[in-house]
Amino acid sequence: MKEIRLAIKILKTLVKDRIQYPDRLVVDTIGIIARCGILLILYSYVFKLSNGAINGTTFLFAAWSIFFYFSFSVLRLRDISREIMKDIQTGNVEVLLSKPISYLSYRMWWQVGSGIYSFVVITLLAVVTLFFSIGLPSTMTISIFLPTLLLTFFCGVILSLFLYTMVGLLSFWIEDINPVFWIVDKAVMILGGSYLPVALFPAFMFKIALWSPFGASQFVTHTVYKTWQTNWYQLVGIQLFWIVLLGLVVYFMFESAKKKVSVNGG
Amino acid sequence: MKELHFALYAIKKNIQSSAELRTSFLMNIVGMSINNTAFIILWGFFVKSVGVIGGWTVADIIGLQGFAALCFGIVFSAGAGIRKLAEYTASGAFDRFMLSPKNLLVRIATSSFGVSALGDIVFGIVCLGIYTFLIQATIQQILLIVLLVAISTMVFLSAAIVIYSTSFFFTDATSVTGSLFELFLTPSLFHGGAFQGAMRFIFTFAIPSLLIGALPVEIVRDISLGKLLLVSVLATFWFIVSINIFKRAVKRYESSNFMTFGN
Repeated sequence: MKEIRLAIKILKTLVKDRIQYPDRLVVDTIGIIARCGILLILYSYVFKLSNGAINGTTFLFAAWSIFFYFSFSVLRLRDISREIMKDIQTGNVEVLLSKPISYLSYRMWWQVGSGIYSFVVITLLAVVTLFFSIGLPSTMTISIFLPTLLLTFFCGVILSLFLYTMVGLLSFWIEDINPVFWIVDKAVMILGGSYLPVALFPAFMFKIALWSPFGASQFVTHTVYKTWQTNWYQLVGIQLFWIVLLGLVVYFMFESAKKKVSVNGG
Repeated sequence: MKELHFALYAIKKNIQSSAELRTSFLMNIVGMSINNTAFIILWGFFVKSVGVIGGWTVADIIGLQGFAALCFGIVFSAGAGIRKLAEYTASGAFDRFMLSPKNLLVRIATSSFGVSALGDIVFGIVCLGIYTFLIQATIQQILLIVLLVAISTMVFLSAAIVIYSTSFFFTDATSVTGSLFELFLTPSLFHGGAFQGAMRFIFTFAIPSLLIGALPVEIVRDISLGKLLLVSVLATFWFIVSINIFKRAVKRYESSNFMTFGN
């Protein structure tokens, strides 16, 4: 109960803060235009050159898939790694660990809260824009689409948080986690279907995307394709497997990390 | 000459300072090089799936990433201070640069050193080496690559100066400059052959993203002197404009009087 109250408090505070100071919304909007918007324009040209279909996929499916990736990225869950590193480098972690709250759940809720306002606003606006400019694929109008999209989205959020928390916790052992962060982040970018939609992946790369936690954290990009209707439960199962596994790794890493904290006073 | 001597001295001291944390220093360089490989993998698979577009092959993608990484690395390793302009103006730390008898822009640029950008330089050189090998470049093409790295770096530096000069127009411009920089950099890493028509025009003349990678690759590939002239003229234009914008922008600065002496 206390945990839920804390989560709600963090979310409410951060949403109010973001509404009051909309800088982040502006940044995220320009960011999604620079990345996703330009990419979609380029892809529309590329699909036209290829007579409308590449690997049996049309622009409509590819565009929505790419959009889901970039929309998910607006949540900025990956920033949790650097926030943890900052806490450790500045010594702030000592203060947070001494409080009667779970440090990791506090950091995770903070991360969700800081991105949720931009995510909701940008996603709603972009969905409307895409709907009127390119339309909706038939796969997105069937009954199981929305519930399974939400399910895989929530699993993706938890998995991303665990994945990037693991990277952040490495700060207890190494002085600069940025190189590890870059590699994990790019693995997510490649296997998640960002600049290259999953439907255009070569077979072996698709398998890696399917069975690795990097690709699994971005399964929202698979939801627009026809194959999702038949194998969504398998994909959600993979996500749940990684959530349990990475959850355990995070737990043991954190327990071990806590023993390394030394209060230097001052 | 005196300014150049100062810049080199400042860069040398910055490198020595950064190299003190040896493990972190090396990890940053290696990590960034691996990080950049992601774009080659992505666009390489794109070419494999979609086929050749606008005459662009995987070799050209490698060349594009090489040019872009090298420009980025050169500007943001030695001149990482430009990226901190928003932070300096917002915190009042800019005062100490105004009081310095050295050239203001050189002093700001060399006030910080980007270790990870050294990884971009390493990556860029390796990529351009591979590119030269893959296209079996002639001496003429190799000389063109060297010349174009210099021209592209000039464009990149100019764009960075223009973007970060906006710091003087906002109370806290960190977010704005970050967004504008992303708008400039992201398209420069995209497949150059996919930019056609209006998109090519916009990202050549209004936002010079294609000048730092896509156009240099096309110039080397086609040995196009017309495009070389265009890129050179635009590079000179952007450089002059950027210096003027910076000078005008600085006049808007008002000291925050935070008493931030020293670094």
